[in-house]
Parts: sequence; structure tokens; C-alpha cells
Amino acid sequence: MGNFSLYVDNGTWLNKMHPYTKLLYILAAICIPLIGGKLWLFPLMILCSICLLACGRTLKRALPLVAFSFTLIVVIFLIQGLFYHSNENVLFKVWILTFYKEGVLYAAHIGLNILNMLLSFALFVLTTSPQELVEELEKSGFSPKFGYIINSVFQIIPQMMKSKDTIMDAQRSRGMETEGKLLVRVKALFPMISPVVMSSLINTRERAIALEVRGFGRKNKKSFLSERPKHKGDRAIGAFLVLLIILVIVWRIASCL
Amino acid sequence: MPVISIENLKYRYPGTKHLAIDDISLTIEKGEFIGIVGQNGAGKSTLSQAMIGLVPQFYKGAYGGKVTVDGIRTDTCPVEEMCEKVGLIFQNPFNQLSGAAETVYGEVAFGLQNLGIPAQEMKERIEKALKQLDIWQYRNRNPFNLSGGQMQRVAIASILVMQPEIIILDEPTSQLDPEGTEEVFRVVDTLTSAGFTIIMIEQKLEKMAKYCDRLILMSKGKVIDFDTPEKIFSRDDLEKLGVQPPAYTRICRQYGLKKEDGTYPVTLEDTINIFKEKGVKLRRPESGKDAAELGHNVFRAENLDFSYNENVHIFENLNLLLDKRATAIIGQNGAGKTTLVRLLKGLLKPQGGRIWFGEDDISGKTVAMLADKVGYVFQNPDDQIFKYKVLDEVMYGPLNIGMSEETAREKSLKALELMGLKGKEKMNPYDLELNERKMTAIASVIAMDTDVVILDEPTIAQDYPGRQLIGNMIRELSEAGKLVIAILHDMDFVEENFDRVIVMAHGKLLCDGTSAQVFSEDDVLKEARLQKPYLTELFTKLEQ
Amino acid sequence: MGNVFKTKLTAATIVLIPACIGINYLGKLIASVLKLPLWLDSIGTCIGGCLGGPIIGAICGALNNLIYGLTTGDNITLIYALTSLGIGLVVGILARLGFMETLTKSLICAVGGGLAAVVISTPLNVIFWGGTTGNVWGDALFTVTQANGMSVWIGSFLDELVVDVPDKLITVVIVYLLLKGAPKKLTSLYDVNAEVERLD
Repeated sequence: MGNFSLYVDNGTWLNKMHPYTKLLYILAAICIPLIGGKLWLFPLMILCSICLLACGRTLKRALPLVAFSFTLIVVIFLIQGLFYHSNENVLFKVWILTFYKEGVLYAAHIGLNILNMLLSFALFVLTTSPQELVEELEKSGFSPKFGYIINSVFQIIPQMMKSKDTIMDAQRSRGMETEGKLLVRVKALFPMISPVVMSSLINTRERAIALEVRGFGRKNKKSFLSERPKHKGDRAIGAFLVLLIILVIVWRIASCL
Repeated sequence: MPVISIENLKYRYPGTKHLAIDDISLTIEKGEFIGIVGQNGAGKSTLSQAMIGLVPQFYKGAYGGKVTVDGIRTDTCPVEEMCEKVGLIFQNPFNQLSGAAETVYGEVAFGLQNLGIPAQEMKERIEKALKQLDIWQYRNRNPFNLSGGQMQRVAIASILVMQPEIIILDEPTSQLDPEGTEEVFRVVDTLTSAGFTIIMIEQKLEKMAKYCDRLILMSKGKVIDFDTPEKIFSRDDLEKLGVQPPAYTRICRQYGLKKEDGTYPVTLEDTINIFKEKGVKLRRPESGKDAAELGHNVFRAENLDFSYNENVHIFENLNLLLDKRATAIIGQNGAGKTTLVRLLKGLLKPQGGRIWFGEDDISGKTVAMLADKVGYVFQNPDDQIFKYKVLDEVMYGPLNIGMSEETAREKSLKALELMGLKGKEKMNPYDLELNERKMTAIASVIAMDTDVVILDEPTIAQDYPGRQLIGNMIRELSEAGKLVIAILHDMDFVEENFDRVIVMAHGKLLCDGTSAQVFSEDDVLKEARLQKPYLTELFTKLEQ
Repeated sequence: MGNVFKTKLTAATIVLIPACIGINYLGKLIASVLKLPLWLDSIGTCIGGCLGGPIIGAICGALNNLIYGLTTGDNITLIYALTSLGIGLVVGILARLGFMETLTKSLICAVGGGLAAVVISTPLNVIFWGGTTGNVWGDALFTVTQANGMSVWIGSFLDELVVDVPDKLITVVIVYLLLKGAPKKLTSLYDVNAEVERLD
């Protein structure tokens, strides 16, 4: 649990691309099918994300992210296919269950939307260092206070996990049981959670002092160690994505008229 | 023109009734090295934090009087501005990391970024500080994965780069192993010659005697005395104020060796000189009980193998017998001390070999099954405290292992009295200071009345009275026929309180014997990178 | 009433937020280690709300889900950032209004937090997944309501109600018990109205 973030730097161009460009891609990937309103746009964007993930040699690492949404998608298919409120036309029957066309179509919409969002996020999450994102945000005028919060979460949680193990050992040494009947386990809850909370509050006080003596919260502008080399393609890709979003909006308006 | 001037300072923490600082006035000159001594709760940290403005701005509460640094009032100048003049380093190396940086380099840069220092200058300052503190090689490591001593040096570097004029060191070594302590003191050495004004709080008074120009002696929020180390440590009322003079001063006092100005020597060099000058012969004190084994074996470890993962073997084929003598385990962090006692407690299971507790093989037993036989006090009391009353906290263990309410109460009250917490049974443990919380945690294990009591670094954060209480407790438990095992970093405490000492390094038992035997083995100490207790060192030096 | 929302972004409150996010995470972890039928994943958010006020609570909640969503790529969590925000906000407001002073009052605070969760989550469930929550018991109930021809909204509302309210109830009671024992020296750091009293 040394590293809380899923980011891995494998040196591909996706790593070098500016975080903002990748954020813009998420926006485009989600907006285009929703605004466009056509079902076929979802698989198109999904395919697009898969291709990009493959380019960045991160497709394999994206699989577990997608896998855990499958139960949700299956449940949605079952419930909506069977009970969707405007179900009319029977699509097929399995045993005593009747699936309707409207419900399945509706479920397909939701399911594809989930997949689409997951994949476009995966593209961002797997190739972007959270610290880099925060630094870029701060350079664009985002408050360093919020930047600090985000950075420190990644550093503090692994430390807190370690202290959870110690706390459990300390209480078990004093005869606390963690296995057995529900009542036994419920009794163990407070002896575990209370030291976790109290020690993190005590640490919080000390860390706040450490920050104050390092000039945290000063009014002057923060400086940065390095200038980020902008990838050549960043501007071009960004412009292309914005253009696509505009196009789809125009197309939607035009088709409504 | 003094650089720090304090006039009639008074301070009270919010939600408390007594004054933590009670009418203090003093001045400190530029370039002085000032020490603050006194027992826990005397107001040492509070006073030092008033010099940077954390008192009162951070804690709020009630404040009176005036503290100025370079003519600037610290009670109104924001701490984030004040930090350009005054740097603060405190005990816990962990909590001093900003938590915002992935690398040592970034961590040290954090303060400079806040000050808005341009990139080029930042890089120069960081490189200089990292090299000065000998941590340049760790610049790309995650600061959280360093050892305590390394982390503490990162903390000092983070302050140095901000180029303050005054540096406050608030017990910077109290949570470090002997090697980390040495690393930090080596850094302090280099700071003394660099022209900083330094304020240091430290329980290791032999070190204070070495560095300080003047000492502030505090008790109950008041300054009792402010003078040279020789004058302060020659006072007759010191132990009453909860301060034990350095080992050298104690020996000189015992032999009545005074310097010309009527004070006792406080450093090793002065002590050696005065003994030689006056031609006095130093007698080695009787070395306590000899290695006579007491009774039958309590623990027997046979061919123990243990590793946390496949690549790193901690123990290979380790054999160890433990009888009822109070046993100290010493060595650097990472030597395998904690792993060993966790195996004895059953918190870890050996991959090979066996551990016998009396007649029983404990490999097959759970921690809970051993709870009423082997007690284990963890290093950090905050990892276990969860009740609202000290007494309830202490009674949790005894009740868990099936004692009746009445017996549990009786044993708990006795344990609390032993640890000096009589009269605090009804207090909220979190309203106690760290040293008293630690005592609560020790009491909560002693009250379980186990045959074995394991203590992990009991003396951390303890002052002289606290160390006396712990020494007393070890004696009392030993006399009651219990086995006390302690991991310790304080060699002087080991020498005074333990019958048997085991030296560990890289998973091996290097040496095992009485403290006199162990501390005379120079090669062993060198391999384990341990220092001799101050008195042993003095004997060795005088015999040469 | 403006006072209820008063917030100071001092170093102490800033550091409180990541700690609370960590507590959320550990609460969830401990519940699963002990195999308790609860989530307990908003203890930190509620502590943030009670100590730092509604704004800090809301930030704790929202950032909690945003950060997990962004790091684990789990955009399902991401969407419920709004819910967590609501819980932190409501618990923070009620705590400032004195509903964390006694155990009985804290129950009202707990119900408030639970209802906030339900009211915000229901539309999200309906919009994104057609009404389900992903919790077995809740979804079983949802299926029953749908099979009986009730509206998606009522079904989803009930689904969320049985899932969220008991969990939040226990969460807030735990937070009450924890903060009751916290020393004044710690909690006073977050007191927005604290001023330095002069002794001379």
C-alpha cells in the first residue's frame, strides 16, 4: 500500500501530455454521446478510449477498473429489462423472465454510459501523476491550500493504514477479539476506531504547526521548482476536442430545429 | 541589543485553569546557544513556541506580556511571516513532514515555495542544505520511507533553507534510536559554528552541557534560574525540580571535585581533567548481580526463522533462552528487536523453528490466547487509548482476560499508583500529556498481571522523575517473579536497571550478558553502532 | 444565521481535511476487517463537519469522493461526491446549531445526515443507473417496488432509505462518542470564535 495512486510512469506520450488535455478528453468523451443523443456514439467513444489506452500501453491496467462495474451493469439490465416502466414490446423470454425491448435499450444506454465514463477516466487516472495535476492547477491560480489537501491525502493515507495495523495488534494484545459472533465484532469497533481518530487528530495538530513554521498560508505568490515542457501536440489535440464538442452541439441543435 | 526579549510573559492554554507560563522575563543575545531544562510540564515547549508566535496565535488561550524577536512582536506577527526569522524543529520526525511532497527534495522545497523564492535560488539553497546535512543521496526518496534520524535531518534541512536567524530545537532526538540521535547531534555541531542563535530543549543533559552557553532552568511555568551549565548543574535543589544533573557532574559531586569557581564540571573533558589534576582515583562501582541465571526458562526459541517477505530475512536459525532476569534488548532500528518481541508475544508467527513459553509451544496459539500470560506495551500510547477515563482504560485489558470487576479495579488502581498516576484515575486520558499517556498505557498492561511484561521503548518522552518511576516498576515486577523484557535506546537507563543485556544487529544476537560485560565489549558496540553509557565511557577514558 | 457557516481556512483546518478523508477510508476498512454489515465510510466527513463547520464538512465529503474517484478510476464514487458534500454540510450545520451536544440530540443530527444522503442520492441513482444502488438488500426492495408498478422515484427513494439511514445513524453516534472524549486542547483549534484573551 506504499502507493495509493494508480498512476504509473511508463514513459509513453500519454504520460507526457498535459493533464488539462486529458481532462478535456474526459469532458469530450462524456459530452459527445450525451449531447449527440445517438446510441451509436457511445460505442464509438468507448472504442476511441480503448485505442488510446492501448497506445499508452495501459489497457491491461484498465481492465480491473472496468471489471468491477460489471455487476452494476448486469443488475441494471435485469431490473430495467424486466420492469422498466414503459416496457411494451417483448424482446425475448428466458424461463419465466420476460425481457422487453424498451427496458433493454434503456439499460444499454446506461451501461454504455458507465463504460464510456470509466474508460475515459481510466485514461486520465492511469497516466497522470496527481502531484503533477495539482502543480499545474496551482500554476493556473488554483489555491495552494487545496493543492496541499490533495497532495497530502496520497501521503497520509498509507501512513494511517500502517497505524491501523498497529492499533489492532495493541488491542489484541490486551485481549480484544476481532473474530466470532456479531456482538464480539461490534465490541471491537470502538477500540479500533477511537485510537485511529484520536491519533490522527493529535498528528493533525503537530502537522499544522509544521506547516505554519514553513510559511504555509502566506499571501505572496508561491514559486515552483520547474517549468513543465508543453507537449507539442497539447494545443492541437485540445483545439480538436473543443471543435468536436462544438460540432456535436451544433449538430444537436440543427437536428432539433 | 538582545535578539529575543521576553517581558512578563504569561500564558494559559484554552480549557485549562493554571498558567503554563507564569510571568517570565529574560533576554537572549544574538549568536548564543541557549538550553531550556526542566521536568515535563514545566513550560519549556510553551516558552519556545511563544518565540515564534504559535503561542498564542495557533493555540489561542489567554496571553499577557510581550515577546519580541528582532523588535517584532511575536503575538501579533503571523507565524507564516515570523518563520523567516525563527525556525522550529520538534520531537516527532513523522509529523514534521509537510505530507505534500513525494521526494526529500520536494519536501525541503516546500517552505521556499511558500516564501516565493525563485527556482534557481531554491535549487542552490536546497543543494547546499542537503549536502550540509549529508542527505543529498536521499533527495529522490520518499521522505516517509526514511529512518527517524534521516527524517529529522530532512526536517532540519527544511528549516535551514529558509535561512532563519534563530533555530529552536524542541527535543529533536527524543524519538530517535542511538544512531539517529548521533546523526542529529552531529548536525547541531555544525550549526553552533554557523552563527545561528539556537534555543534547544533536551532531556539528554550531557549534550546540553556540551553545547549550551547558558541554560534556562524552568519549573511550573516559572524561570528558576538562567545561568551557565556549570552553575545550573551545581545547584543543590536540581533533583527536587525534576532534573538530574549530567552523569559527570554526579560523579564529581560524589568525589567532591569542584572547579576553582566553586562549580562542578559538566562535560567529559572537564571531568577527566579534574580527576587527573587532583590525582583522584575513580573506583568502578560494584557491578550488580552477576549473570546468575534465575529459575527455569520462561521463553525458549529454537532455530527461529522469520522474514516479512521472501527477499529480506530477519532471523535465520536464531536460538535464545530467556529466564526471569530483567532483560534489555538494545540495537539500532532495523536490528530485529521489535520483530523478536512480537514473535514472543505471538503477534508474528515464525516460518521455521519453535518458541516455547514454559512447557507450551506458542506457534499454535493466537494473540488472544496469550493475552493473560504475556503483556506487551506498545511504543505509542495513542495506538491503544480509547476510553474516557484513565481507570476504565486500564481496566479494559484485565476485564477482557476474564478478571472480575473487583479484581480488575484493584489491580488497575495498584498499577496506576505504581506508574505515578494516583489521583488521575478519573481524568480523560487525552487530557494528559504524552508522558502520562505513556504511563497509562504501561499501567493498562501491568494491571493484567501477566507473567511476562514486554516494553517497547518505555523511556521515550520521559523526564527524570518518569524514568525513575519506570525503573522502579521494573524492579518491582522482577521481585514479584515476573519477566520484564524491554527494548531500549537509552544506554544509561539500561546500565542502571537491567540484570541482563542482549545486543542485536541485523537479525543476530551479538552479545548477551550483564551490562558491565556488554558495555566493555568495544567491538560488539562498534558493530551494533551503539554508544557506551556516559559513566562507562568515563571509566574507560580515565583508565587509559 | 450567517454565523453557522463561519469558516476559517487556517493551517489547522486545512490539515484536518486530509485527516478526515483518511478516517473515512479507515472507517470503511475497519468495518470490512470486522465484517460488519455497515459502510462507515463517512465518519471523517462528519468529524470534519462537527469540528470545522458545514463548509469544511462539505469540502471533506466532496473531496473524499473526488479523490477516490480520480485515483481509483471509479467514477461511480465520483458521482456521489454530491451526496457526501450534502452529508458533511448538513451534519456541520446541525452540529453548529447544537445538535451534537447530547446523545439524544445527536440522533436528530444523524437522521438529518441520513436524509440528506437519501434526498441527494435518489435523483443520482435514477439519472445514472435507472434507480438501483448496488446494495443487495436495497436493490431487492427496489425490484419489488418495480415489479409492483410503483414509480421509479419512490422505488429508488425506498432503496436508498433502507441502505443509507441506518448506516448514517450509527456513523453519527460513533462521531458523537468520539468527539465527546476529545480534549479541549484539540477541539479549540477549530473554534472559529476563539480569540486570544489578554492577561495584562
